[in-house]
Amino acid sequence: MYGIEAINANNGWAISVVGITIVFTGLVVLSFVISQLHKAMDLFENPQKIKRWFIGEKKVDETGEIPDSPNLVITEEQKEITKQFALLARTMEEHFSLPRLLHLSQISGVKNPHSNLNILLKFAIIFPDGEGFFCWDQNRYTKIISQ
Amino acid sequence: MNKFLEESLKHDLIEDLMGSISDVLKESMVFNSLEEVDLKKIIPLFEKWELDTGDVITTAGDIAQYFFLLESGTLLLSMEAGKSVVLETPGDFMAMELLSTKGVYKTTTTVLENGNVFAVSSESFLSLIQEDTPGAETIMQAWQKFCDQKAVFAKNIVDINVPGNF
Repeated sequence: MYGIEAINANNGWAISVVGITIVFTGLVVLSFVISQLHKAMDLFENPQKIKRWFIGEKKVDETGEIPDSPNLVITEEQKEITKQFALLARTMEEHFSLPRLLHLSQISGVKNPHSNLNILLKFAIIFPDGEGFFCWDQNRYTKIISQ
Repeated sequence: MNKFLEESLKHDLIEDLMGSISDVLKESMVFNSLEEVDLKKIIPLFEKWELDTGDVITTAGDIAQYFFLLESGTLLLSMEAGKSVVLETPGDFMAMELLSTKGVYKTTTTVLENGNVFAVSSESFLSLIQEDTPGAETIMQAWQKFCDQKAVFAKNIVDINVPGNF
């Protein structure tokens, strides 16, 4: 008995399918592991990041201070002040100077301009463009204001 | 007895400070590769400053007396032409081309959130990194990486290997 007949008689098709599946799954797993290797290397090079995860989480739990995560709630007063900052940001370029925004907020009489500007940074409503200037994230602003 | 207590308290405070600066140095991208010997040499140079929101710790145009290592809080470094960088990670180091040129601050540093920094005399620090030692070389290499990551726009390639210019 040879050829197709022999394959049929000895479960050859099923064995082939299982073999292909095993090889394919192995390749998928291998490619996933390789694609994530940079994260492991990063942790290996900067072991303090692991420590920072735990310390960071602990700090928020213990102190209840201004959250790092933009998902947490903002107070009504902070929302009002954020609206004032939004108005000031609208008068500026798309990529604006943060010290200039701080100065404008001071001369406009915004309450606690330093700490409130810090809140906008923590909530990532204002984010750096990498060239020394900052941008206003209108989507995040709208989302946080409507919370 | 009181004198003994006073001495004991002073000793405890120094121990706390040493522990605190040691932790921050180990977290710092600029200093975390230093050997224990180099860390022991550098730790006594730092003194702890408490910062309140709105404080200005460096003003552009003033003599650059200190560089700063961030322990906690948020700082806004306002540079020339409206550019700025916000530093908030423990271990971030404010020095050299981020802060000064030829012994004069070019950056105004404003506190956005209460915290602490460790101040180091710029003169002492520059003397230290001008030494021909592996520790000094490690600091300079790490410093360049730190600048690339945090404020590449502030980096002055020409000045980077000439600490006397800061």
